[in-house]
Amino acid sequence: MNTPETEITEHVQETMEEMYVNMGPQHPSTHGVLRLMLKLDGEVVTEVVPYIGYLHRCHEKIGENRTYIQIIPYTDRLDYLASMYNNFGYVLAVERLMGLQVPERAEYMRVILAEMQRIASHLIWMGTFGLDLGNFTIFMYCFREREKILDMFESVSGQRLNYSFYRFGGMPLDFPESFLTDCKAFLEWFKPRLHEYDAMMTDNIIFQKRVQGLGKLDQKTAIDYAISGPMLRASGIKWDLRRNDPYSIYDRFEFDIPVGSTGDVWDRYMVRRLEMAESVKIVEQAIRQLPPGEIMGKVPKKLKPPAGDIYSRVESPRGELGFYIVSDGSEKPYRYKVRSPAFVNLSVLPIIGPGHLVADMVAILGSIDIVLGEVDR
Amino acid sequence: MTPDEMVQAIRSQFGEAVKASEVKGVEARMDINREKSYELLARLKEMGFGYLNCVSSVDWIASGELEAVYNLSSLKEPTKVLVRVRVPREDPVIRSVVSLWSTADWHEREAYDLMGIRFEGHPDLRRILTSEDWVGYPLRKDYRDERLVPYEPY
Repeated sequence: MNTPETEITEHVQETMEEMYVNMGPQHPSTHGVLRLMLKLDGEVVTEVVPYIGYLHRCHEKIGENRTYIQIIPYTDRLDYLASMYNNFGYVLAVERLMGLQVPERAEYMRVILAEMQRIASHLIWMGTFGLDLGNFTIFMYCFREREKILDMFESVSGQRLNYSFYRFGGMPLDFPESFLTDCKAFLEWFKPRLHEYDAMMTDNIIFQKRVQGLGKLDQKTAIDYAISGPMLRASGIKWDLRRNDPYSIYDRFEFDIPVGSTGDVWDRYMVRRLEMAESVKIVEQAIRQLPPGEIMGKVPKKLKPPAGDIYSRVESPRGELGFYIVSDGSEKPYRYKVRSPAFVNLSVLPIIGPGHLVADMVAILGSIDIVLGEVDR
Repeated sequence: MTPDEMVQAIRSQFGEAVKASEVKGVEARMDINREKSYELLARLKEMGFGYLNCVSSVDWIASGELEAVYNLSSLKEPTKVLVRVRVPREDPVIRSVVSLWSTADWHEREAYDLMGIRFEGHPDLRRILTSEDWVGYPLRKDYRDERLVPYEPY
Protein backbone atom coordinates (compact mmCIF):
# COMPACT_ATOMS: atom_id res chain seq x y z
CA MET A 1 0.00 0.00 0.00
CA ASN A 2 1.23 3.43 -0.85
CA THR A 3 2.05 5.78 1.97
CA PRO A 4 1.66 9.52 1.35
CA GLU A 5 5.49 9.87 1.23
CA THR A 6 6.00 7.35 -1.55
CA GLU A 7 3.10 8.85 -3.47
CA ILE A 8 4.80 12.20 -3.39
CA THR A 9 8.14 10.71 -4.49
CA GLU A 10 6.49 8.88 -7.35
CA HIS A 11 4.65 11.98 -8.36
CA VAL A 12 7.89 13.97 -8.42
CA GLN A 13 9.63 11.30 -10.46
CA GLU A 14 6.78 11.11 -12.94
CA THR A 15 6.60 14.83 -13.43
CA MET A 16 10.38 15.38 -13.61
CA GLU A 17 10.88 16.15 -17.22
CA GLU A 18 12.88 18.38 -19.46
CA MET A 19 11.54 21.85 -19.73
CA TYR A 20 11.64 24.50 -22.42
CA VAL A 21 12.48 28.03 -21.42
CA ASN A 22 12.50 31.05 -23.66
CA MET A 23 15.42 33.35 -23.04
CA GLY A 24 14.52 36.58 -24.76
CA PRO A 25 13.53 38.18 -27.09
CA GLN A 26 13.39 40.77 -24.30
CA HIS A 27 16.25 39.83 -22.05
CA PRO A 28 18.98 42.15 -20.84
CA SER A 29 21.82 39.78 -21.55
CA THR A 30 20.90 39.14 -25.17
CA HIS A 31 22.07 42.66 -26.09
CA GLY A 32 19.15 43.26 -28.38
CA VAL A 33 16.27 41.14 -29.51
CA LEU A 34 17.49 37.59 -29.72
CA ARG A 35 15.43 34.63 -28.62
CA LEU A 36 17.09 31.49 -27.34
CA MET A 37 14.99 28.41 -26.84
CA LEU A 38 16.63 26.52 -24.00
CA LYS A 39 15.85 22.94 -23.17
CA LEU A 40 16.59 22.43 -19.52
CA ASP A 41 17.25 19.37 -17.44
CA GLY A 42 17.05 20.91 -14.00
CA GLU A 43 19.45 23.80 -14.19
CA VAL A 44 21.53 22.34 -16.98
CA VAL A 45 20.97 23.39 -20.56
CA THR A 46 20.72 20.40 -22.88
CA GLU A 47 19.80 22.17 -26.10
CA VAL A 48 19.98 25.71 -27.44
CA VAL A 49 18.09 26.91 -30.48
CA PRO A 50 18.63 30.55 -31.43
CA TYR A 51 15.80 32.37 -33.20
CA ILE A 52 16.91 35.50 -34.97
CA GLY A 53 15.34 38.00 -37.32
CA TYR A 54 13.54 40.27 -34.88
CA LEU A 55 15.60 43.19 -36.15
CA HIS A 56 15.48 42.24 -39.81
CA ARG A 57 14.99 45.34 -41.93
CA CYS A 58 15.80 44.16 -45.46
CA HIS A 59 19.20 45.78 -45.49
CA GLU A 60 20.18 43.97 -48.68
CA LYS A 61 16.92 44.72 -50.49
CA ILE A 62 17.20 48.39 -49.56
CA GLY A 63 20.75 48.33 -50.88
CA GLU A 64 19.57 47.10 -54.26
CA ASN A 65 17.29 50.11 -54.57
CA ARG A 66 19.85 52.75 -53.66
CA THR A 67 22.86 54.13 -55.47
CA TYR A 68 26.26 53.06 -54.23
CA ILE A 69 26.89 56.20 -52.19
CA GLN A 70 23.41 56.12 -50.66
CA ILE A 71 24.21 52.77 -49.09
CA ILE A 72 27.01 54.15 -46.88
CA PRO A 73 24.65 55.50 -44.18
CA TYR A 74 22.84 52.16 -44.11
CA THR A 75 26.06 50.27 -43.41
CA ASP A 76 26.43 52.31 -40.20
CA ARG A 77 23.34 50.60 -38.86
CA LEU A 78 24.68 47.09 -39.34
CA ASP A 79 27.12 46.86 -36.47
CA TYR A 80 26.20 50.08 -34.74
CA LEU A 81 29.00 49.72 -32.21
CA ALA A 82 31.65 49.75 -34.94
CA SER A 83 30.17 51.99 -37.63
CA MET A 84 33.54 53.20 -38.87
CA TYR A 85 34.52 49.66 -39.66
CA ASN A 86 31.36 48.93 -41.61
CA ASN A 87 31.96 52.05 -43.67
CA PHE A 88 35.53 50.89 -44.17
CA GLY A 89 34.52 47.43 -45.35
CA TYR A 90 31.83 48.65 -47.74
CA VAL A 91 33.85 51.49 -49.20
CA LEU A 92 36.82 49.18 -49.71
CA ALA A 93 34.66 46.65 -51.55
CA VAL A 94 33.35 49.25 -54.01
CA GLU A 95 36.84 50.71 -54.47
CA ARG A 96 38.17 47.27 -55.31
CA LEU A 97 35.33 46.73 -57.74
CA MET A 98 36.04 50.02 -59.49
CA GLY A 99 39.82 50.01 -59.08
CA LEU A 100 39.90 53.38 -57.32
CA GLN A 101 43.11 54.68 -55.76
CA VAL A 102 43.07 56.20 -52.31
CA PRO A 103 45.57 58.93 -51.33
CA GLU A 104 48.16 58.08 -48.73
CA ARG A 105 46.88 60.46 -46.09
CA ALA A 106 43.32 59.17 -46.40
CA GLU A 107 44.57 55.61 -45.88
CA TYR A 108 46.25 56.62 -42.65
CA MET A 109 43.16 58.51 -41.51
CA ARG A 110 41.10 55.42 -42.19
CA VAL A 111 43.37 53.19 -40.14
CA ILE A 112 43.52 55.63 -37.22
CA LEU A 113 39.73 55.93 -37.07
CA ALA A 114 39.18 52.22 -37.61
CA GLU A 115 41.52 51.18 -34.83
CA MET A 116 40.09 53.75 -32.44
CA GLN A 117 36.73 52.25 -33.30
CA ARG A 118 38.04 48.80 -32.49
CA ILE A 119 39.09 50.03 -29.05
CA ALA A 120 35.67 51.61 -28.50
CA SER A 121 33.90 48.44 -29.61
CA HIS A 122 35.99 46.19 -27.37
CA LEU A 123 35.41 48.59 -24.49
CA ILE A 124 31.66 48.28 -24.90
CA TRP A 125 32.02 44.54 -25.07
CA MET A 126 34.11 44.39 -21.93
CA GLY A 127 31.77 46.69 -20.06
CA THR A 128 28.60 44.85 -20.95
CA PHE A 129 30.25 41.48 -20.42
CA GLY A 130 31.18 42.61 -16.91
CA LEU A 131 27.62 43.79 -16.45
CA ASP A 132 26.27 40.40 -17.51
CA LEU A 133 28.40 38.74 -14.86
CA GLY A 134 27.49 41.21 -12.13
CA ASN A 135 30.51 43.49 -12.24
CA PHE A 136 28.90 46.86 -12.59
CA THR A 137 31.99 48.97 -11.96
CA ILE A 138 33.85 47.83 -15.07
CA PHE A 139 30.87 48.96 -17.12
CA MET A 140 31.23 52.53 -15.83
CA TYR A 141 34.98 52.49 -16.36
CA CYS A 142 34.72 51.26 -19.95
CA PHE A 143 32.03 53.76 -20.84
CA ARG A 144 34.14 56.57 -19.42
CA GLU A 145 36.94 55.74 -21.88
CA ARG A 146 34.58 55.14 -24.77
CA GLU A 147 33.00 58.52 -24.19
CA LYS A 148 36.34 60.18 -24.89
CA ILE A 149 36.69 58.27 -28.15
CA LEU A 150 33.17 59.28 -29.17
CA ASP A 151 34.01 62.91 -28.40
CA MET A 152 36.96 62.65 -30.75
CA PHE A 153 34.85 61.03 -33.46
CA GLU A 154 32.34 63.81 -33.02
CA SER A 155 35.04 66.39 -33.56
CA VAL A 156 35.99 64.60 -36.79
CA SER A 157 32.65 63.64 -38.31
CA GLY A 158 29.99 65.52 -36.34
CA GLN A 159 28.35 62.28 -35.26
CA ARG A 160 28.70 60.18 -32.17
CA LEU A 161 27.49 56.78 -33.32
CA ASN A 162 26.60 56.53 -37.02
CA TYR A 163 29.42 58.37 -38.70
CA SER A 164 29.05 57.69 -42.46
CA PHE A 165 32.51 59.18 -42.69
CA TYR A 166 34.25 57.11 -45.37
CA ARG A 167 33.85 57.94 -49.04
CA PHE A 168 34.83 56.12 -52.20
CA GLY A 169 38.35 57.20 -53.03
CA GLY A 170 39.21 58.90 -49.77
CA MET A 171 37.78 60.83 -46.86
CA PRO A 172 35.38 63.79 -47.04
CA LEU A 173 37.08 65.98 -44.43
CA ASP A 174 40.52 66.25 -42.95
CA PHE A 175 41.10 65.87 -39.22
CA PRO A 176 40.39 69.05 -37.26
CA GLU A 177 43.49 70.72 -35.82
CA SER A 178 42.99 69.46 -32.30
CA PHE A 179 42.37 65.83 -33.24
CA LEU A 180 45.92 64.50 -33.34
CA THR A 181 46.93 66.08 -30.02
CA ASP A 182 43.67 64.87 -28.47
CA CYS A 183 44.30 61.41 -29.83
CA LYS A 184 47.86 61.23 -28.51
CA ALA A 185 46.74 62.52 -25.13
CA PHE A 186 43.97 59.94 -25.06
CA LEU A 187 46.31 57.07 -25.84
CA GLU A 188 48.73 58.15 -23.09
CA TRP A 189 45.83 58.36 -20.71
CA PHE A 190 44.29 55.10 -21.89
CA LYS A 191 47.30 52.80 -21.53
CA PRO A 192 47.36 52.84 -17.70
CA ARG A 193 43.57 52.34 -17.75
CA LEU A 194 44.12 48.88 -19.23
CA HIS A 195 45.87 47.94 -16.00
CA GLU A 196 42.86 49.14 -14.07
CA TYR A 197 40.76 46.65 -16.03
CA ASP A 198 43.29 43.98 -15.22
CA ALA A 199 43.00 44.73 -11.53
CA MET A 200 39.23 44.62 -11.76
CA MET A 201 38.66 41.74 -14.17
CA THR A 202 41.74 39.83 -15.29
CA ASP A 203 43.32 39.36 -11.87
CA ASN A 204 40.00 38.95 -10.15
CA ILE A 205 39.88 35.39 -8.86
CA ILE A 206 36.06 35.40 -8.76
CA PHE A 207 35.91 36.36 -12.42
CA GLN A 208 38.55 33.81 -13.36
CA LYS A 209 36.75 30.96 -11.63
CA ARG A 210 33.50 32.09 -13.17
CA VAL A 211 34.56 31.98 -16.81
CA GLN A 212 37.44 29.53 -17.13
CA GLY A 213 36.46 26.34 -18.90
CA LEU A 214 33.10 27.69 -20.07
CA GLY A 215 31.90 27.30 -23.64
CA LYS A 216 34.98 25.63 -25.06
CA LEU A 217 35.33 25.77 -28.82
CA ASP A 218 37.99 23.58 -30.37
CA GLN A 219 39.90 24.49 -33.51
CA LYS A 220 38.26 21.96 -35.79
CA THR A 221 34.75 23.09 -34.92
CA ALA A 222 35.80 26.72 -35.18
CA ILE A 223 36.96 26.25 -38.77
CA ASP A 224 33.98 24.06 -39.60
CA TYR A 225 31.68 26.86 -38.49
CA ALA A 226 33.88 29.52 -40.16
CA ILE A 227 34.24 31.41 -36.90
CA SER A 228 36.29 34.56 -37.29
CA GLY A 229 37.76 37.39 -35.31
CA PRO A 230 38.67 37.26 -31.62
CA MET A 231 36.57 34.14 -31.17
CA LEU A 232 38.67 32.22 -33.72
CA ARG A 233 41.91 33.50 -32.25
CA ALA A 234 40.77 32.49 -28.76
CA SER A 235 40.66 28.91 -30.03
CA GLY A 236 44.37 29.15 -30.78
CA ILE A 237 44.31 29.87 -34.52
CA LYS A 238 46.52 32.79 -35.41
CA TRP A 239 44.39 34.28 -38.16
CA ASP A 240 43.84 37.98 -38.58
CA LEU A 241 42.93 39.46 -41.95
CA ARG A 242 44.93 42.56 -41.11
CA ARG A 243 47.99 40.33 -41.20
CA ASN A 244 47.00 37.37 -43.37
CA ASP A 245 45.14 39.17 -46.15
CA PRO A 246 46.30 42.77 -45.69
CA TYR A 247 44.03 45.50 -46.98
CA SER A 248 44.50 49.26 -46.93
CA ILE A 249 47.93 49.88 -45.34
CA TYR A 250 47.88 47.38 -42.50
CA ASP A 251 51.04 45.71 -43.77
CA ARG A 252 53.04 48.77 -42.70
CA PHE A 253 52.41 48.44 -38.99
CA GLU A 254 53.95 46.24 -36.36
CA PHE A 255 51.52 44.59 -34.03
CA ASP A 256 51.03 41.23 -32.37
CA ILE A 257 48.08 38.93 -32.81
CA PRO A 258 47.01 37.66 -29.40
CA VAL A 259 45.80 34.06 -29.39
CA GLY A 260 44.22 31.88 -26.76
CA SER A 261 44.71 28.19 -26.16
CA THR A 262 41.51 26.40 -25.15
CA GLY A 263 38.87 28.61 -26.74
CA ASP A 264 36.83 29.12 -23.59
CA VAL A 265 35.16 32.31 -22.43
CA TRP A 266 38.28 33.31 -20.54
CA ASP A 267 40.40 33.12 -23.69
CA ARG A 268 37.91 35.23 -25.60
CA TYR A 269 38.08 37.79 -22.85
CA MET A 270 41.88 37.80 -22.86
CA VAL A 271 42.16 38.07 -26.65
CA ARG A 272 39.95 41.16 -26.70
CA ARG A 273 41.68 42.68 -23.71
CA LEU A 274 45.10 42.25 -25.38
CA GLU A 275 43.82 43.43 -28.76
CA MET A 276 43.03 46.82 -27.28
CA ALA A 277 46.71 47.27 -26.47
CA GLU A 278 47.64 46.22 -30.03
CA SER A 279 45.20 48.75 -31.50
CA VAL A 280 46.86 51.42 -29.38
CA LYS A 281 50.19 50.44 -30.93
CA ILE A 282 48.78 50.70 -34.46
CA VAL A 283 47.23 54.12 -33.85
CA GLU A 284 50.49 55.41 -32.38
CA GLN A 285 52.48 54.25 -35.39
CA ALA A 286 49.90 55.65 -37.81
CA ILE A 287 49.95 59.06 -36.12
CA ARG A 288 53.75 59.10 -36.28
CA GLN A 289 53.79 58.23 -40.00
CA LEU A 290 50.76 60.34 -41.03
CA PRO A 291 51.81 62.17 -44.20
CA PRO A 292 50.43 65.51 -45.36
CA GLY A 293 48.63 65.78 -48.69
CA GLU A 294 45.39 65.09 -50.48
CA ILE A 295 42.56 63.23 -48.78
CA MET A 296 40.36 62.56 -51.80
CA GLY A 297 41.38 60.64 -54.88
CA LYS A 298 40.04 60.98 -58.40
CA VAL A 299 36.49 59.70 -58.38
CA PRO A 300 33.98 60.06 -61.22
CA LYS A 301 30.93 62.22 -60.46
CA LYS A 302 28.56 59.43 -61.37
CA LEU A 303 29.56 56.18 -59.80
CA LYS A 304 29.04 53.28 -62.17
CA PRO A 305 31.25 50.29 -61.37
CA PRO A 306 31.96 47.98 -64.30
CA ALA A 307 29.81 44.87 -64.54
CA GLY A 308 31.21 42.12 -62.37
CA ASP A 309 31.21 40.90 -58.81
CA ILE A 310 33.53 41.01 -55.85
CA TYR A 311 33.78 39.49 -52.42
CA SER A 312 35.79 41.80 -50.22
CA ARG A 313 36.51 41.21 -46.56
CA VAL A 314 37.95 43.14 -43.66
CA GLU A 315 38.71 42.30 -40.05
CA SER A 316 36.04 44.13 -38.10
CA PRO A 317 36.11 44.08 -34.27
CA ARG A 318 33.83 41.04 -34.45
CA GLY A 319 35.54 39.12 -37.22
CA GLU A 320 35.43 38.77 -40.95
CA LEU A 321 33.09 41.40 -42.36
CA GLY A 322 32.52 40.57 -46.01
CA PHE A 323 30.66 42.39 -48.74
CA TYR A 324 29.60 40.54 -51.85
CA ILE A 325 28.58 43.06 -54.50
CA VAL A 326 27.31 42.22 -57.97
CA SER A 327 27.32 45.13 -60.39
CA ASP A 328 25.48 45.20 -63.71
CA GLY A 329 27.16 48.44 -64.75
CA SER A 330 24.38 50.69 -63.49
CA GLU A 331 24.52 53.13 -60.61
CA LYS A 332 22.81 50.72 -58.23
CA PRO A 333 24.19 47.36 -57.16
CA TYR A 334 22.43 44.41 -58.76
CA ARG A 335 22.98 42.37 -55.61
CA TYR A 336 24.43 43.51 -52.35
CA LYS A 337 25.12 40.95 -49.68
CA VAL A 338 26.68 41.34 -46.27
CA ARG A 339 28.53 38.50 -44.63
CA SER A 340 28.31 39.62 -41.05
CA PRO A 341 30.71 38.10 -38.53
CA ALA A 342 28.24 38.07 -35.65
CA PHE A 343 25.68 36.10 -37.72
CA VAL A 344 28.21 33.36 -38.41
CA ASN A 345 29.71 33.37 -34.92
CA LEU A 346 26.28 33.06 -33.33
CA SER A 347 25.53 29.94 -35.38
CA VAL A 348 27.97 27.93 -33.26
CA LEU A 349 26.01 28.57 -30.05
CA PRO A 350 24.00 25.30 -30.33
CA ILE A 351 27.36 23.49 -30.19
CA ILE A 352 29.11 25.32 -27.36
CA GLY A 353 26.03 26.08 -25.25
CA PRO A 354 24.70 22.69 -24.08
CA GLY A 355 26.07 21.18 -20.91
CA HIS A 356 26.26 24.44 -19.02
CA LEU A 357 24.08 26.04 -16.38
CA VAL A 358 21.51 28.64 -17.40
CA ALA A 359 23.53 31.33 -15.65
CA ASP A 360 26.57 30.36 -17.70
CA MET A 361 24.64 30.72 -20.96
CA VAL A 362 24.68 34.43 -20.27
CA ALA A 363 28.47 34.39 -20.06
CA ILE A 364 28.86 32.26 -23.19
CA LEU A 365 26.46 34.38 -25.22
CA GLY A 366 28.20 37.52 -24.01
CA SER A 367 31.59 36.16 -25.01
CA ILE A 368 30.48 35.73 -28.64
CA ASP A 369 30.02 39.50 -28.83
CA ILE A 370 26.96 39.71 -31.03
CA VAL A 371 25.36 42.89 -32.29
CA LEU A 372 21.84 42.13 -33.41
CA GLY A 373 21.81 44.93 -35.95
CA GLU A 374 24.40 42.94 -37.82
CA VAL A 375 23.00 39.47 -37.19
CA ASP A 376 19.56 40.31 -38.53
CA ARG A 377 20.44 42.95 -41.11
CA MET B 1 48.58 25.67 -54.47
CA THR B 2 48.24 28.57 -56.89
CA PRO B 3 44.79 29.40 -58.31
CA ASP B 4 45.91 28.29 -61.79
CA GLU B 5 47.02 24.86 -60.58
CA MET B 6 43.81 24.50 -58.68
CA VAL B 7 41.63 25.33 -61.69
CA GLN B 8 43.70 22.92 -63.81
CA ALA B 9 43.22 20.09 -61.31
CA ILE B 10 39.49 20.71 -61.03
CA ARG B 11 39.02 21.00 -64.78
CA SER B 12 40.89 17.77 -65.47
CA GLN B 13 38.78 15.90 -62.92
CA PHE B 14 35.37 17.37 -63.63
CA GLY B 15 35.68 18.28 -67.28
CA GLU B 16 32.45 19.67 -68.61
CA ALA B 17 30.90 20.27 -65.21
CA VAL B 18 33.01 23.43 -65.06
CA LYS B 19 31.26 25.75 -67.47
CA ALA B 20 33.69 28.65 -67.18
CA SER B 21 36.66 29.63 -65.10
CA GLU B 22 38.92 32.60 -64.68
CA VAL B 23 41.72 33.61 -62.35
CA LYS B 24 41.73 37.09 -60.82
CA GLY B 25 44.82 37.67 -58.70
CA VAL B 26 44.75 35.07 -55.93
CA GLU B 27 41.10 34.26 -56.55
CA ALA B 28 39.91 31.51 -58.86
CA ARG B 29 36.35 31.82 -60.13
CA MET B 30 34.30 28.98 -61.53
CA ASP B 31 30.81 28.55 -62.92
CA ILE B 32 29.72 24.99 -62.48
CA ASN B 33 26.81 22.69 -63.20
CA ARG B 34 24.52 21.96 -60.34
CA GLU B 35 24.64 18.19 -60.90
CA LYS B 36 28.29 18.10 -59.86
CA SER B 37 28.27 21.00 -57.40
CA TYR B 38 28.45 18.87 -54.26
CA GLU B 39 31.22 16.61 -55.56
CA LEU B 40 33.22 19.57 -56.78
CA LEU B 41 32.91 21.47 -53.51
CA ALA B 42 33.82 18.32 -51.61
CA ARG B 43 36.92 17.99 -53.77
CA LEU B 44 37.83 21.62 -53.06
CA LYS B 45 37.51 20.94 -49.37
CA GLU B 46 39.89 17.99 -49.74
CA MET B 47 42.32 20.28 -51.53
CA GLY B 48 42.58 22.40 -48.41
CA PHE B 49 39.83 24.97 -48.77
CA GLY B 50 38.37 24.17 -45.40
CA TYR B 51 36.94 27.60 -44.64
CA LEU B 52 33.60 28.51 -46.18
CA ASN B 53 33.45 32.29 -45.92
CA CYS B 54 30.04 32.93 -47.32
CA VAL B 55 27.15 31.58 -49.34
CA SER B 56 25.31 34.26 -51.29
CA SER B 57 22.40 34.10 -53.69
CA VAL B 58 21.67 36.15 -56.79
CA ASP B 59 18.50 36.41 -58.85
CA TRP B 60 19.28 36.54 -62.59
CA ILE B 61 15.74 37.22 -63.64
CA ALA B 62 16.60 38.08 -67.26
CA SER B 63 17.83 34.54 -67.91
CA GLY B 64 15.30 33.00 -65.53
CA GLU B 65 17.89 31.63 -63.15
CA LEU B 66 18.87 31.78 -59.51
CA GLU B 67 22.48 31.52 -58.48
CA ALA B 68 24.26 30.40 -55.34
CA VAL B 69 27.76 31.74 -54.79
CA TYR B 70 30.23 30.01 -52.50
CA ASN B 71 33.32 31.81 -51.24
CA LEU B 72 36.00 29.41 -50.09
CA SER B 73 39.42 30.06 -48.63
CA SER B 74 41.94 28.31 -46.48
CA LEU B 75 43.58 29.47 -43.29
CA LYS B 76 46.99 28.45 -44.60
CA GLU B 77 47.30 29.81 -48.13
CA PRO B 78 46.21 33.09 -49.74
CA THR B 79 44.40 31.31 -52.60
CA LYS B 80 40.63 31.90 -52.64
CA VAL B 81 37.87 30.30 -54.66
CA LEU B 82 34.52 31.64 -55.79
CA VAL B 83 32.12 29.03 -57.08
CA ARG B 84 28.85 29.92 -58.80
CA VAL B 85 26.02 27.47 -59.33
CA ARG B 86 23.02 28.44 -61.43
CA VAL B 87 19.63 26.77 -61.25
CA PRO B 88 16.41 27.47 -63.16
CA ARG B 89 13.79 29.51 -61.30
CA GLU B 90 11.11 26.85 -61.80
CA ASP B 91 13.21 24.22 -60.07
CA PRO B 92 15.64 25.96 -57.71
CA VAL B 93 17.20 22.96 -56.01
CA ILE B 94 20.87 22.59 -55.09
CA ARG B 95 22.44 19.89 -52.99
CA SER B 96 23.24 21.21 -49.52
CA VAL B 97 26.84 21.39 -48.33
CA VAL B 98 26.04 21.38 -44.61
CA SER B 99 27.66 17.94 -44.35
CA LEU B 100 30.90 19.51 -45.61
CA TRP B 101 30.84 22.77 -43.69
CA SER B 102 28.50 23.29 -40.74
CA THR B 103 28.62 27.02 -41.29
CA ALA B 104 26.57 26.52 -44.46
CA ASP B 105 23.58 25.74 -42.23
CA TRP B 106 22.57 29.33 -41.54
CA HIS B 107 23.81 30.67 -44.86
CA GLU B 108 21.65 28.20 -46.76
CA ARG B 109 18.67 28.91 -44.56
CA GLU B 110 19.12 32.58 -45.35
CA ALA B 111 19.34 31.91 -49.08
CA TYR B 112 16.20 29.76 -48.83
CA ASP B 113 14.38 32.38 -46.78
CA LEU B 114 15.15 35.42 -48.90
CA MET B 115 15.78 33.96 -52.35
CA GLY B 116 13.89 30.71 -52.36
CA ILE B 117 16.69 28.35 -53.29
CA ARG B 118 15.94 24.94 -51.83
CA PHE B 119 18.94 23.06 -50.51
CA GLU B 120 18.44 19.34 -50.80
CA GLY B 121 19.68 17.41 -47.79
CA HIS B 122 19.71 20.38 -45.44
CA PRO B 123 18.93 19.07 -41.93
CA ASP B 124 16.63 21.92 -40.94
CA LEU B 125 15.59 24.11 -43.85
CA ARG B 126 13.37 26.75 -42.24
CA ARG B 127 13.03 30.47 -42.68
CA ILE B 128 15.57 32.29 -40.56
CA LEU B 129 15.27 36.07 -40.84
CA THR B 130 11.62 36.53 -41.76
CA SER B 131 8.79 35.01 -39.77
CA GLU B 132 7.73 31.43 -40.39
CA ASP B 133 4.45 32.37 -42.08
CA TRP B 134 6.02 34.76 -44.56
CA VAL B 135 4.85 34.40 -48.13
CA GLY B 136 7.26 34.79 -51.01
CA TYR B 137 10.97 35.37 -51.24
CA PRO B 138 11.80 39.05 -50.63
CA LEU B 139 15.14 39.26 -52.38
CA ARG B 140 13.81 38.05 -55.72
CA LYS B 141 13.62 40.81 -58.27
CA ASP B 142 9.95 40.16 -59.01
CA TYR B 143 8.90 40.16 -55.36
CA ARG B 144 5.96 42.48 -54.79
CA ASP B 145 4.33 43.32 -51.51
CA GLU B 146 1.24 45.49 -51.50
CA ARG B 147 2.37 47.02 -48.22
CA LEU B 148 5.49 48.36 -49.90
CA VAL B 149 5.58 52.04 -50.66
CA PRO B 150 6.76 52.43 -54.24
CA TYR B 151 10.09 54.14 -54.49
CA GLU B 152 10.06 56.55 -57.41
CA PRO B 153 13.30 58.11 -58.53
CA TYR B 154 13.26 61.91 -58.76
